[in-house]
Amino acid sequence: MPTGADPHPALGEAATRGADLYAPGYRTARRPPGVKVVTFGLVLSALLGVLALAAVREVASPARQAAARPALVPPRPPLTVAEEEYALALWPIHNEVKAGALKMTLGGMSYKIGELDRAGLKARIEKSEETYREAARRIAQLTPPPSLVPVHEMYRDAVRLYQRSAVEMALVIGDGRDEHLVVAQPFSMEASEKLLKVGDVLWPNEYKPN
Amino acid sequence: MRKRSWLLVGLAVLGAAIGAVAFTAQTPAPAQGVVYSVWLVESSRFMGVPFGAFMPDRAFVPGSTNPMNNINTVDLPVNVGVIKGANELILYDSGWKQQDYFKMTGTEHGAPLTEQLKTLGIAPGDVKKIVIGHGHWDHAGQLMDFPNAVLYVQREELRGIEWALNYPNPKIAAVNTSPGGCARTPACGYPPKTLDEIYGKVLSGKAVIVDGEMEIAPGVKIHPAHRAHTAGSQLLEVPTAIGKLVFGSDAYSSWEGIRDWMIANPQQTDTVQQFLAYEKCYKITGGYQNCVAAHEPLSYTEKYPLTKNSWVGLNGSRMAEISLAPGEKSKKP
Repeated sequence: MPTGADPHPALGEAATRGADLYAPGYRTARRPPGVKVVTFGLVLSALLGVLALAAVREVASPARQAAARPALVPPRPPLTVAEEEYALALWPIHNEVKAGALKMTLGGMSYKIGELDRAGLKARIEKSEETYREAARRIAQLTPPPSLVPVHEMYRDAVRLYQRSAVEMALVIGDGRDEHLVVAQPFSMEASEKLLKVGDVLWPNEYKPN
Repeated sequence: MRKRSWLLVGLAVLGAAIGAVAFTAQTPAPAQGVVYSVWLVESSRFMGVPFGAFMPDRAFVPGSTNPMNNINTVDLPVNVGVIKGANELILYDSGWKQQDYFKMTGTEHGAPLTEQLKTLGIAPGDVKKIVIGHGHWDHAGQLMDFPNAVLYVQREELRGIEWALNYPNPKIAAVNTSPGGCARTPACGYPPKTLDEIYGKVLSGKAVIVDGEMEIAPGVKIHPAHRAHTAGSQLLEVPTAIGKLVFGSDAYSSWEGIRDWMIANPQQTDTVQQFLAYEKCYKITGGYQNCVAAHEPLSYTEKYPLTKNSWVGLNGSRMAEISLAPGEKSKKP
């Protein structure tokens, strides 16, 4: 087919015939445009302009660019049955350790801001120490699958660090020097990071958006 | 015919004029006295959160054409406020830092706050004050990265955690609930590391335990919003050139919620207190436009006008320039 030839000649003819049929309309269109037509044209142009501007802004908006999601990180393989069993066995111990750590930290905070006396702090530390001792005993009874041995050791380290922090904190009860609390806090912080590291492997949904 | 056309044009002009006057009337009058520059920084984004989990009244109904119920999931930003005055650099909330060991499934676009602030020309040592709206992990992280900053936390927040942990019923005292996760028990949102960081500020003498209201800089006021999200939630009023702003952290999780009077992000939330916190913003700012929400899905878009002057920063996280004090230069790239 030559370039420019009408692929649908019949349709073209119909269109031509149609134009003839509306010949009276052409006569009307040849008149100078009235105010109404001009106003309508202006309003229509303005509306189209606004629409075009909105479309351009929407496409160029930085928020829209950000909304384009990058490729998601491929999901991690699920835990094996043995790993799952270990995670389930450690979970209740983890709950106790976490609660003990939070209570000890809040105890130090309450003491420091004058809401807890030394006797109260002593009781708090002793209770957390007991929690850590019991946790260490129960963790020692667990046998992790080979793939989780590093995680298991990390958790044991975390409990040891909390214990060390508790021992250091307890010194303030004897001499009243707050420096012991300052020395103790980084051990607790390190232990808490290890808890998160273990949690990232065993319980990736431990913390939810809130 | 011609007369009618001119009448139409006249009506259109009149309509436009009325619209312009109405728009001007809605724009808050500039605050008197000291005003601050304000930016909003997206600490990270929680992707694909079921809308109904965030706002019960917006729960997805398959097949619904009701705009309130036809959205399945939303992406929730974690917003941090940056407030700059002549001699002040204040953060409202401090977000959280994604680490190799703390990734939070379904989170994207996270970046360390210190790095994000650098793009605004702010060094970590410049930050003088951090007001945490509450102590949950995604709002009170990274505190130790700002060594000069004094932390402001409500006493009631600390007491609330203490109360929960020591409650005799273990179901209520639980720091974790179902195996592998934590639902919405009162102590769920506070990992030991987050409390360790708050404790670090207390130990270094850089914490102020707030009881109720407090003015922490000229015109910058803390308002208690206890139980509006957690036991010791607090708001922050900030005067700016576009009027007063009120930051609400998770008491103001959703800006649409404030606008439509719907609760959002129910955690340890007394819904009546959350509504009273919303009302506080209406009273202080004269409406809902200047209420700054922590997790509003429309953040950084035209649909949340306060935050529309936005751009994309580190790792796809977003920032918005909300208001500039006289003499302050724009940080928008």
